[in-house]
Amino acid sequence: MRARIRSLQLRLTLELTALFVIASALALGGLIYNASLTADSLADRDLGLRAEDLAAHVVRADGGAPRLDLPPGLMQAYTDANAVFAVRDKDGHLIAASSPEFGSASARWPAGDGDPTYFQLSKFGPLGQDYAGLSVQVDSVAGPVSVAVAQRAGGNELVHAILREFVVDTGWYVPPFAALTLLLAVYRVRRSLRPLRAASDRALGIGPEAISLRLPATDVPAEALPLVTAVNRALDRLEQSFVVQRRFTANAAHELRTPLAIITARLDTLPGNGQLAALREEVARMNRLVEQLLCVARLDSLALDITPAVDLRAIAAEVVGSMAHLALAAGKSIALTGDERPVVIAGNAPAIADALRNLIENALAHTPRDTEVIVEVAADGAVSVSDRGSGVPVEDRPHIFDRFWRGQGSAPGGAGLGLPIVGEIVKAHRASILVEDSAPCGARFTMRFHPCD
Amino acid sequence: MRLLVVEDEDRLAGIVKTQMGAAGFAADLAGSAADAIAALELTNYDAAVLDLGLPDRDGVTVLTAARGMGKTLPFLILTARDAVEARVAGLNAGADDYLTKPFAMAELIARVQALLRRPGGVLGITLEAGNLRLDTVGRELTIGGVPVRLPRQELAVLEQMMRRLGRIVPKAVLEEKLYGHDEEPDSNTIPVHVHHLRRQMQGARASLAIHTVRGVGYILAKAPP
Repeated sequence: MRARIRSLQLRLTLELTALFVIASALALGGLIYNASLTADSLADRDLGLRAEDLAAHVVRADGGAPRLDLPPGLMQAYTDANAVFAVRDKDGHLIAASSPEFGSASARWPAGDGDPTYFQLSKFGPLGQDYAGLSVQVDSVAGPVSVAVAQRAGGNELVHAILREFVVDTGWYVPPFAALTLLLAVYRVRRSLRPLRAASDRALGIGPEAISLRLPATDVPAEALPLVTAVNRALDRLEQSFVVQRRFTANAAHELRTPLAIITARLDTLPGNGQLAALREEVARMNRLVEQLLCVARLDSLALDITPAVDLRAIAAEVVGSMAHLALAAGKSIALTGDERPVVIAGNAPAIADALRNLIENALAHTPRDTEVIVEVAADGAVSVSDRGSGVPVEDRPHIFDRFWRGQGSAPGGAGLGLPIVGEIVKAHRASILVEDSAPCGARFTMRFHPCD
Repeated sequence: MRLLVVEDEDRLAGIVKTQMGAAGFAADLAGSAADAIAALELTNYDAAVLDLGLPDRDGVTVLTAARGMGKTLPFLILTARDAVEARVAGLNAGADDYLTKPFAMAELIARVQALLRRPGGVLGITLEAGNLRLDTVGRELTIGGVPVRLPRQELAVLEQMMRRLGRIVPKAVLEEKLYGHDEEPDSNTIPVHVHHLRRQMQGARASLAIHTVRGVGYILAKAPP
């Protein structure tokens, strides 16, 4: 099966190349053919003239038989290795011949009254050459004579010289001309396809975080316009359902907040026992999940407002401070280390705080009792959270930022939204996140933001 | 003590009122900004708890109206965690503290009490946390009913910690409270005070302990068993 070429540009280029090669071959071939035809007729005319020349030199001696009286110059020219002739009177008697062999051979082609008779002679003479010739009846002083003249086939150097000159001097510019035209054609094809390339570049940028982008319809060729329009309409419909979906998530989470707040408050008012504590824990978990869902919905629907200068150190200090009681309640501790001076980066402070809070919650869930979760802010705009847990297996690392993904080591009760939120926030900042092993054990998550210039 | 609770969610408001009642506050409820402003005009409340998401107007308008009336009562605003702009607007408009929803009732009560204990606040002069009692005027501390004598600066550190029970007290805040702006405290002074305070509390069998959060500050929380 022939492989299909998908690139329109490549296909057009290949087809145009083939077309140009064939066309220039045909043009060149036609020219050469015509030239050789002309050469042939030139040769025929030359032979005809030679026959007339010979006839003109037939003389009749006084009352005697006619004979050929060629000047020595002509005699030499007409009897060299390439030319043969024979002259007969109207009764068929040989008057003169270049050689006795041709004299007898020429008897085969008696000249008619009208047009000359053409003949071919192969492997003739002492040299065994091919000849092409004609025999014609010409008037002379001795009455009509029949003259047969032949020239060695291919022996016409002049014609070949002309042909060679044509091919070398004139024919050479056909291929470059064709190539130049081809290049121009390819360039034009590329230019006409440029709007399509622009459209595909735009399409690359369309994703969940940029759903309102559309393919540009300006300058798109009329043939491709229906496709672009149809794709844009399809994107409109997708965007609409996407927006509805997001609104639903956000609304659902928001509507869940109030009843949860009421349950939380009512549980707080009940005198405690063991079962109640378990219920409170469950509700706290649910509260967290709802907050995370809201956070996800918010990240999906709103572009983060990046402020040029926020203090990463101050954000980290606030988050660590606000989470210290959680750590202490779980019998763990938390610390903020690294550069104590402000670390100024470009970012959205509440979002970075959210990301950090999720990383710390995650670390606290994994680190054993009596160990410390360490948050470190580096002067180059990086903030890392290390725990003393079991670490993140290398094979799990590519998945931990996927929504609702839960690995072997996931903390019980988590919904699998914490790290995806972190990932989204990092992405919205065009920052990077790295998961690695922490020494001597545990995991270390490092978010690297862009320092402010 | 009278408290105004501005919250449009009736059930939640009801629970807050009951709980505040149990903690010794008489709470009035207002379900809209208009009701809240009317109530503030009529009554001199000691403090107000204000939800920023109200049905008729932004909660911040209640705050600005109260300040416009010359009321100086402390306001504690309730916001959703994601409503950062609203929270900032509330604090800029003169709110004294904030809590993000969902909150624990005990936290709300503790915060309101802390607001009332501020200098100029109506709640007495005695701070209580665990089995610690500190008379902020007489500068007398008892732990489990037993008087404990402490140097002035250590008492000041403890007072700050007790005012922000369960919350972090940044080291910088302690330095600021203990020393004037022109005094340059030795970077080691606060840790030394805390170390001494900790030993004293441990010796007196305090139910609370000062925990260090390295790089951030200190927090007064339940003592490790």
